[in-house]
Amino acid sequence: MVDLIWLVPALPLGGFIVLIFCGRRIGEPFAGWLATGVMAGSFIATVAVFLDMAGRSAHDRRAVVTLFEWIPAGDLSVDVGFLVDPLSLTMCLFITGVGALIHLYSVGYMHGDAGFPRFFAYLNLFTFAMLMLVLGDNLLLTFLGWEGVGACSYMLISFWFTEPANATAGKKAFVTNRIGDWGFMVAMFATFFTFGSLNYVDVLDASEAGTVAQTTATLIAVMLLVGAVGKSAQFPLYLWLPDAMAGPTPVSALIHAATMVTSGVYLLTRVNPVIADAAGWVPDLIAWLGVGTALFAATIAMAQTDIKKVLAYSTISQLGYMFLAVGSGAYVAAVFHMVTHAFFKALLFLGSGSVIHGMDGDQDMRHYGGLRRFMPVTAGTFVVGWLAIAGVPPFSGFWSKDEILAFAWNKSPALWFVGLLTAVLTAFYMTRLMAMTFSGESRYADERPGEEDGGAAALRADHTPHESPRTMTAPLVVLAGLAMVAGFVQLPFSSSTKWLEHWLEPSLYSNEVHLGIGGGTQFLLAAIAVVGGVVGIGVAVAVYVKARVDRGLFEQAIFADAWRIDRSVARFMGGPGRQGFDATNRFDERVVDGAVFGVADVVRRLAGLGRLFHSGMVRTYASGIGVGAVALITWFLVRSTL
Amino acid sequence: MIAALTTPYVAWWALVPLITFAVAGFLLLTVASLVRRLPAVLAPAWTAVAGLGVLLYLVPMWSRVGRDGADSFLAGTVGVDRSSIFVTGILAVAVIAAALISRDYLPREDLPGVELYVLLLMSAAGGVVMASANDLIVLFLGLEILSIAVYVLAALHLRRIESQEAALKYFLLGAFSSAFLLYGIALVYGATGSTNMVRISAFLAQNVLVDDAMLLAGLGLLLVGLGFKVAVVPFHAWTPDVYQGAPTPVVAWMAAGVKAAGFAALMRVFVLTLGTYVSDWRPAFQVIAAATVLAGAVVAVVQTDVKRMLAYSSIVHAGFILVGLQAATDRGNSSVLAYLAVYAFLTVGSFAVVTVVSGTGDASHGLDAYRGMGRRHPALAGVFTVLLLGQAGIPFTGGFVVKLGVLAAAVDGGAYWLAGVAMLAAAVAAFVYLRLLVAMYLEEVPSGTETSGAVPLGALVVAVASAVIVLVVGLVPGPLLDLARDAVPVLVAG
Amino acid sequence: MSTPAIFAAVTGFDPLTGGEFLVAQNIAFAIMAITMLVSAVRMVTTGNVVHAALYLVIVLAGAAGIFILLGAEFVGVTQVLVYIGAIVVLFLFGIMLTKGSFGADDGVGGERRGIAAMVGALVLAVMAAALLDTFRDAELSRAEPSLTADVADLIFSRYIVPFEAISVLLLAALIGAIVVARGD
Repeated sequence: MVDLIWLVPALPLGGFIVLIFCGRRIGEPFAGWLATGVMAGSFIATVAVFLDMAGRSAHDRRAVVTLFEWIPAGDLSVDVGFLVDPLSLTMCLFITGVGALIHLYSVGYMHGDAGFPRFFAYLNLFTFAMLMLVLGDNLLLTFLGWEGVGACSYMLISFWFTEPANATAGKKAFVTNRIGDWGFMVAMFATFFTFGSLNYVDVLDASEAGTVAQTTATLIAVMLLVGAVGKSAQFPLYLWLPDAMAGPTPVSALIHAATMVTSGVYLLTRVNPVIADAAGWVPDLIAWLGVGTALFAATIAMAQTDIKKVLAYSTISQLGYMFLAVGSGAYVAAVFHMVTHAFFKALLFLGSGSVIHGMDGDQDMRHYGGLRRFMPVTAGTFVVGWLAIAGVPPFSGFWSKDEILAFAWNKSPALWFVGLLTAVLTAFYMTRLMAMTFSGESRYADERPGEEDGGAAALRADHTPHESPRTMTAPLVVLAGLAMVAGFVQLPFSSSTKWLEHWLEPSLYSNEVHLGIGGGTQFLLAAIAVVGGVVGIGVAVAVYVKARVDRGLFEQAIFADAWRIDRSVARFMGGPGRQGFDATNRFDERVVDGAVFGVADVVRRLAGLGRLFHSGMVRTYASGIGVGAVALITWFLVRSTL
Repeated sequence: MIAALTTPYVAWWALVPLITFAVAGFLLLTVASLVRRLPAVLAPAWTAVAGLGVLLYLVPMWSRVGRDGADSFLAGTVGVDRSSIFVTGILAVAVIAAALISRDYLPREDLPGVELYVLLLMSAAGGVVMASANDLIVLFLGLEILSIAVYVLAALHLRRIESQEAALKYFLLGAFSSAFLLYGIALVYGATGSTNMVRISAFLAQNVLVDDAMLLAGLGLLLVGLGFKVAVVPFHAWTPDVYQGAPTPVVAWMAAGVKAAGFAALMRVFVLTLGTYVSDWRPAFQVIAAATVLAGAVVAVVQTDVKRMLAYSSIVHAGFILVGLQAATDRGNSSVLAYLAVYAFLTVGSFAVVTVVSGTGDASHGLDAYRGMGRRHPALAGVFTVLLLGQAGIPFTGGFVVKLGVLAAAVDGGAYWLAGVAMLAAAVAAFVYLRLLVAMYLEEVPSGTETSGAVPLGALVVAVASAVIVLVVGLVPGPLLDLARDAVPVLVAG
Repeated sequence: MSTPAIFAAVTGFDPLTGGEFLVAQNIAFAIMAITMLVSAVRMVTTGNVVHAALYLVIVLAGAAGIFILLGAEFVGVTQVLVYIGAIVVLFLFGIMLTKGSFGADDGVGGERRGIAAMVGALVLAVMAAALLDTFRDAELSRAEPSLTADVADLIFSRYIVPFEAISVLLLAALIGAIVVARGD
């Protein structure tokens, strides 16, 4: 059965190829059904492999399926092959499963869009790249998937590229990711020159055996961290994720909540032996970076008015938790939270998409209110997602977050405290979102500031918000069910209820930290977290439902403005940063190049060939050559026996 | 009493590529001057067939050299080894591509149409001479044949003042740098008593020069002259202006062919002939390589003219090739050859696309011309995307494989810092290609641009074939890497 | 340079060959060298293009003279024939055909003179250092004057490839000149 693994990425790839060439002929809605069908097939193949693997003993649960030899040159030998182990299979299960649901949802959401087949082609390509990322048996294949998901995310964000803001967002995502990619590349080269191989099996086994120097391991780990920070939108490379919300909502759900953004966490989990070999400050850095990002993003989410922006910052915050888990050595908890988060955040995003769909594209929560009356299914499933992310037992988010917090306490109570604070804020801003969207008075027909007369409002009053079609609500219901029960795969009560931990064991070597606290402490911590969540919900209810407290107290301008970081960066890149590049350019053009004025001006200045001699440019170039020659000869004379 | 002249041994079989290029050029010129109205397709077809013939002939030649070993003839002034065959192959490919691109270019620009092909063939002949020279004087003459033809080719667009300007700049600076090269040859001759590379390397291997200042100064001057041809910092300044001004098919030849011949010459002179002085020239090469990749990448970012962007990107590529060359090992040499091969495909394909996009007048090189190309010309945009990704060195393209090769060669030689700088530069340079992709797919077609018609066949064939080859090399790099590994340059006494 | 070398250079007294005097040669060399130097400097500083071409004639003639002093008569004569007889004359024709007047051209030279002079001086300095270091007080071999027949033999045997290559080079240049000059 394991040999079937090639089907898992091959099906989406086939879907992509068919859709890109014949998509227009297939047309709507069959293009969407085809894409959904291949995803479902991919999911079934994954399940088949999973069942096979699950029946094996721990040391048998790792297989390398090599398809063909890719680069056979010299000592660099890279294969195209898949590493099938519990970690990659877990990733595959929710990528294909949640992916299939989101494909299904998109059939309804993208209804009537001119680029309908193209959209599904990109979605399939994205899934293929994501599967390559997690299944690749070497760093190079992972890097390929890494670049591929970046490129697809870029194309999908900018899907409606007639809107300039979307194109800009796409650019920002790609550019920020380059920094992360650079880190990944350096790590890859360092790995190759240290281990002589890029295969995970070789590298990780060698690293686990302790044959690698600490400084080298530190370099590789830190560079991979740079890559992970870029892809998983952690501070300071998170800037692109809020902007990426410009894309269609299913894209946000698939890429920016469930799959791509978690690949940083996947990568760090995958290389756990290297992190174990690295200097002690590396895990500390990861943990503090994660928990810092979590708190930071949560504060911003409190004051956003765009429903997708709230969810975007919430995603950054939740990813911060996963980094905290990795930094605390709780790899199981990181994967656990990744899975539950994939369910409940995909649910929340798809729910918000349903709301946006019902509101005819309006994303401003101030215009919502009372929507539960119009969209009962969406509201009902959203409640499940809300309770899950707020950490209310027994919903899935409670279990995974609780496990992370327990390990954080184990590492340092300070980490735990910041994590707890973030949990309170999470409960607060999600309740705020719920309250503004679904409860209270309907505001869709209200007059809005800045509108001249009641005409626009009257027009809106005719357009009552409506529930979404079945293709959209069905995935919501399934995801809601999953978000409710997913926590039961890892229950903290006894060793025998920790199924996920046992399943993942072969992928984690012996690097999973053991919790040094007793069951009583653990229970106490969980109780405090629940109380914190309830307090957050209560405060939010007091503010937004009962309106007993002024909301301005929480919606600080600096939060709404995302701590002004984005704007400062933009100003820097527009000002000093741009000037830096321009200065280099000017230097090259004036001193070496001489052509400062661009083509048109040069042409004007060179009205005739005869005047060329007067422009001074060739002379400048020649002096460049002359200076270079002098420098070279001087160097060589220094080397000589002069 | 004058003794009977002893005629030197000639391995005619090894001269076939050179003779084919030169004679094809002469014949074309003669026929064109005798027959008043040639069918327009004749000259490009002729040129392409000559290139193809050479390419085919290289196959038996390759196996013959593999069987009998490298050879040297004509009194030891010309050699034949597998590296020279490899580079000749690159030159033949570049000739075919340039001829195919020109086929539709010349009628579109209403330019008279035989000289370009004649000069192209002559230039290729010069390149072959450079790649197989075993004597510094022969090398210099090959370089001059190559260059003089290219100077004129750059001026071929008679109605574009930029074309004339580019040619004049290139010519003046080229002459200037040739003087350095020649002076360098003179000094090396003075120090070693020969211009023959085999004798020079034998002399240096056997004797330790007490006063090596003259030799080392000669080394420096040789580097200036050859560095100009391959456009490395600080001898690169002409590149953007010339690429921007010269007719686009000519730029394809300049970027692919001239660079290949130039690096082949650098390899023969420095790695083979002056290999004993590697500890002296390597640091200079390293600094130049680092400066080249960085300057090229950073300055490329702010360009708005696509030909200038590609010019700076070619500078970055030159820096990368130098990164492999400075290793001065077999591995480094084969990485350089592989890079040159892939780079040739990348660049002729890219310039084929640029030729099509530039439109009548060869003037639309701004980003505007590329905006919305993904919609107007999906096929062309797709091909260009592959080529740009290849230039950026994205995995599963040939660009990645060869970039990895040169970096591995550098690291192998212990030049970690250089490999790091090169990777940084590659990351910066990726912005440039990204900029183009953004323009093609994500930006609106500016109003007022007419939707251009069908894509001319010649350019399309070149672009598609290049893209396919770049992808194939990316997926199955084994054969190319094996070829490059077997193409070890050697010097053999005659 | 060591003292004997300076002594030898000034007086023509050659310590190595036991007191042979080469006064005439040294004086001739000195005259030619100084003339060439002055002419070369004037050539790049004069404002008149025709004067510059004529100064070039002097420089090239000096080079021919030095070849003859070295016993390379054939090269010396060729230098006169080709460079002075053909190339400079072509220059003058070119100037005559393209320029409106023969007068001084104020536009020549200008703002980058300083850089050019500096680069020139630096090149001179490093080259001089290299050459002086290598030769120090070594003596040039006083071989037999080279025979024209030997040169011919070499051209048609060892240097046959350069010889042929030059013909291709000239052809390329010829075609190029026609293409560029023909215009539209």
